[in-house]
Amino acid sequence: MSNITDQLLRQATASTFEELAFLFPEDECSESQLAVPLDATVTVDFHGPMRGRLVLRVSSCLLPAIAANMLGETESQKVPLQRDALGEMTNVVCGNLLPALAGADAVFRLDAPQWRTDAIDARDGDSPLATAVFGVEAGRVDAQLFVFSGLEWLETVRSPHAIA
Amino acid sequence: MAFNVLIVDDSAVMRAMIVRTLKLSGLPIAAIYEASHGEDGLRTLNDEWVDLLLLDVNMPVMNGEEMLRRIRAEERTRDLAVIIVSTEGSETRLAALQAMGAAIVHKPFPPEVLRDTILQVTGVTDVEYYGSAAATGDSFDF
Repeated sequence: MSNITDQLLRQATASTFEELAFLFPEDECSESQLAVPLDATVTVDFHGPMRGRLVLRVSSCLLPAIAANMLGETESQKVPLQRDALGEMTNVVCGNLLPALAGADAVFRLDAPQWRTDAIDARDGDSPLATAVFGVEAGRVDAQLFVFSGLEWLETVRSPHAIA
Repeated sequence: MAFNVLIVDDSAVMRAMIVRTLKLSGLPIAAIYEASHGEDGLRTLNDEWVDLLLLDVNMPVMNGEEMLRRIRAEERTRDLAVIIVSTEGSETRLAALQAMGAAIVHKPFPPEVLRDTILQVTGVTDVEYYGSAAATGDSFDF
């Protein structure tokens, strides 16, 4: 299941960057992209038949470009708006991932995006169900999906939707 | 005739994106009002004349589904044109919103999809607004 979930997370993240921020993720990171830290983090928690968290970490050098492409050049230098823009990206990735993962009948509630300055352990001892890493312009993007409860439920509904 | 539009979304960035899209769309917009949740949106509807509501679903205080339910229950706003602009992917929830007469635009959206949906729900056509030359153009300088 992990490979399919990785693929769905990869698709949701890539398409959101392309369609919302007009940035085009590369599957492989170059050495220079790998050298840039992932120092901007936003999380979105979701609740429903399964409960978990989407974590989006990006290199902060990408934030002005994300904000500029979403809001226009004049707004792109304002740091709070840059953070909000990344938050909205995370919200859209999560909103598009969950029905792809769990099927279109499942109803989820998404919490507001949270800007994180602390270490982003999802919860003690948890490891991500899926991860997607991209190179984007001069930086990189790392998306992680954590599921805290409801994995058994996911297994039961998963197969009909997995091949999409 | 120009539209008064109300955008209800808890994300200031998404509201700004929608405003930007509306301004670039060429649609005749008179006033754009903004609200960050359903309760705030209902207050605006009470105070201002609005022709078109662009409404998110997942919001604090009052979500979009509840706001739409209250709008349809109120005689003054019963027939208001409503477009849900959301990442919502649940067919169950989307069907409930559509049953209340809302059109759906899924985030992320190409600008022309929002414009075309606005034209559709407001019942006017490109031809009526811009003449026949513009009716076939679907490109945006975005």
